[in-house]
Amino acid sequence: MTLPPFEPRRSAEGGRVGRVAGVGQTTSQEFRVVLDGDRYLAVDDLVVVRTEVPEAGTVSTYGIVTESEATYEGATFDSDVHRIGDGGFQPAERVRSARVAVTRVDPEIWVAAGPGEVVERARGLDRQRALYVDTIDPQKRLAVGVGRDGDEIEIDLDYFDGTKGGHMSISGVSGVATKTTFAFFFLRMLTGLPNLDPRATANLRALVFNVKGEDLLWLDRPSTKFSEEDAATWQRLGVEPTSFRLATPSRDGRGGSRPRDLGAGSGPTVAYWAPPAKASRDAVLPDVSGRQEGIEAFYWTPEEFIKEGLLQFVFTDASDQRNQIPFVEERVRTQLQRWMQPVEGEPGAVTLVDPSGAVHSAQGEVIRDMDSLVTVLGMLLEPEGDDSDGHPHPAWAGRVQPGTISAFMRRLQSASSDLRLGRLVRAGVSRRIDRSAATVTVVAIQAMHDLAQRFVVGALLQETFREKELTGQSHPLSVVVLDELNKYAPREGASPLKEMLVDIAQRGRSLGVLLIGAQQSASRVAPDVLENASIRVAGRLDAAESERAEFGWMLPSTKARARLLKPGTMVLSQPAVPVPVVFSFPRVPWATRRDEVRPEGDPFKGL
Amino acid sequence: MAKLYLESWAPGFGSPVEADQSLPPSEVDVDPTVEVTGAWEPLPGLDDGARSIAFVDGIRRIDARLTLFDDDDPANGPIPGVCASYAVGATVWHREDTPYSTFEHVTVRRLAVLGRGRIEQVPHVPGLDYLTEATEGEDDAQLTAHVQTRMRQAEGACATDLAREGHFVVADGPINEFAPHQVIGYVKTHHRSYLAPPEAACVGRLRPGERTPLFRINPLGKFQRYSWYVRLATVPFGHAWSGVVRCESAFALGREEARVVADRTAAILPRVAPPLHIDPRAPQNLVPIAALEKHLRHQLGDAALVERALRAALHAQTTLPAPRPEATRR
Repeated sequence: MTLPPFEPRRSAEGGRVGRVAGVGQTTSQEFRVVLDGDRYLAVDDLVVVRTEVPEAGTVSTYGIVTESEATYEGATFDSDVHRIGDGGFQPAERVRSARVAVTRVDPEIWVAAGPGEVVERARGLDRQRALYVDTIDPQKRLAVGVGRDGDEIEIDLDYFDGTKGGHMSISGVSGVATKTTFAFFFLRMLTGLPNLDPRATANLRALVFNVKGEDLLWLDRPSTKFSEEDAATWQRLGVEPTSFRLATPSRDGRGGSRPRDLGAGSGPTVAYWAPPAKASRDAVLPDVSGRQEGIEAFYWTPEEFIKEGLLQFVFTDASDQRNQIPFVEERVRTQLQRWMQPVEGEPGAVTLVDPSGAVHSAQGEVIRDMDSLVTVLGMLLEPEGDDSDGHPHPAWAGRVQPGTISAFMRRLQSASSDLRLGRLVRAGVSRRIDRSAATVTVVAIQAMHDLAQRFVVGALLQETFREKELTGQSHPLSVVVLDELNKYAPREGASPLKEMLVDIAQRGRSLGVLLIGAQQSASRVAPDVLENASIRVAGRLDAAESERAEFGWMLPSTKARARLLKPGTMVLSQPAVPVPVVFSFPRVPWATRRDEVRPEGDPFKGL
Repeated sequence: MAKLYLESWAPGFGSPVEADQSLPPSEVDVDPTVEVTGAWEPLPGLDDGARSIAFVDGIRRIDARLTLFDDDDPANGPIPGVCASYAVGATVWHREDTPYSTFEHVTVRRLAVLGRGRIEQVPHVPGLDYLTEATEGEDDAQLTAHVQTRMRQAEGACATDLAREGHFVVADGPINEFAPHQVIGYVKTHHRSYLAPPEAACVGRLRPGERTPLFRINPLGKFQRYSWYVRLATVPFGHAWSGVVRCESAFALGREEARVVADRTAAILPRVAPPLHIDPRAPQNLVPIAALEKHLRHQLGDAALVERALRAALHAQTTLPAPRPEATRR
């Protein structure tokens, strides 16, 4: 994910660059520009043409260059180039032209640009019009980088914050597409740009899952790769290039934490959470290898596990949905909530009491962790010996076949091992993740088994979503960044996690829960989730992937180029602008890998 | 009242005239001893690094066929006429540093020719400046020959201008100008052999880049000039004379200078001859000339548009304008 040096193209001059071509027809969608000898147009450049239209007056046609072309006029055969170029005895004229896709016509009279009309490079106000920036509320203009012409490219925040649309989808191949880096750059702009509507940005909270490596655990550490040019670009976009500040969640009451003072600067804060390490039975140490300090361990107590109904997120595998297991799970989940009673002197631990007062086979058993939960449920569902004549408790098992019950128990048992969920549920002081403690909450689940990863994601998404549903307030916004979305909301199959993500995609916009989903293959993600993302961003794409219907929003020329995009360069599609725009974003001042972390006491600190 | 009519037949019909290349019948005398006195052997060419070479050519097009019909004097019958356009110009090959070529001295003229010496004027056609001329002839061939003559004159003037500017000029066809300019005529086809069998055999032995010795055409006549043969390329399966062209220079140029330009053409012309597969007239139709013809044809404008404009102008006429004083027969 290392980015090359950031080199925005030098701003090209405005003014005339050529004339609209007259061979072949111009249309309201497309035209060609024959360039003047001393000017050029490159792909992604923006142009404007003014045409005198009878009755209508002057019509301005704005467009974006989709292809650049050149030919020898006068050459008939390929071998003519030698006679023209080497021998020089065949006269020919080198003609350079550019193909332009129309983005806007102003006033909105869709007529073709006139052949022979002067074409100018769109700068200043014309550029804003070509990109519809003038239609975006200045308080909603979110700069995400610079275009190929060296000027800012802005996202209409209305289409992210839920006002007119929500969610963002980021696609691209691993390693070079810089998906996660862009997501954080976006969050940093969102929380840092002074022009933005404070309603949309104040107290914003982002929940991020670190699913690969420990790359997201250095957001508070300056990077050695960050250059002065990058800093200049940040300044130009309007945000001080500072890392996230480390926040220390307080243990005494929820939401009362304050960022640890790290000296000068303000800006968004970050808190890291990781599951407890296997060996840390009593000490509760976070399970990370790269850094120890500043990372909090989290788990759920059995009481929280039952109360929140987290049992459903134990069965998130697509194969779990094919038989009766969800039925058993739902029943057990409800029963646990009805029978649960706290245990005196053991915070977080519970015991099961039949509300009717009847004594049952697991009477008095204390649930302290997953293992004891499995034991207790086993007593109720698969009793051995004489306790109840070998029959499962009717209130728990219903009329389900014994085979289904044992399948349920088998799966629950294997999920409860220490390598999976065993570490995540334990009695003791509450150690739930405090999402209000910092602007960005990074949950490090990279070291965990798939099943446990899905469990954590499901539990936290549900928590976030429920909180919003309860308050009914969409602000402050709650952003969820989820990489490898195809793992959690796959195209095929059903699971409670996928349902939750579809629900967030569909209703989250109005509730203020916004998903930034990233994936290598958009074609493998549930269409419901993908289609609800108003903002679409793509880095380098696999060639086959770029041809799929999920990238229908790209122009053919954009698709061809998407295979070649450099790290840090991306294609943006937003509803406000009808054509995809290519932009680059500067490198970030925080380390995106452990080896980028600048050692403490560096003279450039605070640059 | 006499009125002009545009023939409905497409201008391409009618007898095409090859009013060129044929030489006056008096030109039969040849002196093969001007350069060498003994037996002829091929001579190697020499590129003396001429800084620029201009290839001059012209093209013409019959835009429409006219008929002048005198309603007051029907017994006179229809009088033929043509509207034609011609363009002349040059491809100038600049050979210093990075060689490149440009089109220069390109002019387009439009001419209406009426037969039987009629001096009526073609009405003004917007955007197309037709000059009306009269000729005594009355069949297609004679009218076209008149246009051809005008084009050849324009080519000659163009060649002279370019030579005065210091270019070495290769003009398409026999030379029709005899001042001591560095202009050579470039004759692609061989309608006759100028040489007797012993010398003619030398032509067959030429290799690309070689020439025959100079010979003098019409040593006692009016249109004296030097001439020589050059082989441009070896044509596979060709006869001994395929791939050979004949060049001419003015006698006034002097023998020594004629040798210099002859050597130059022998060395340079094969380089600008097209490979056989890219031109049906290869290798004789030189690349700069082929490009020039294409360019000139483009300069004549769209034939259909020109014809339509003519038709509109003629249909709009009520009476033919009076003859312009300067545009009577020449």
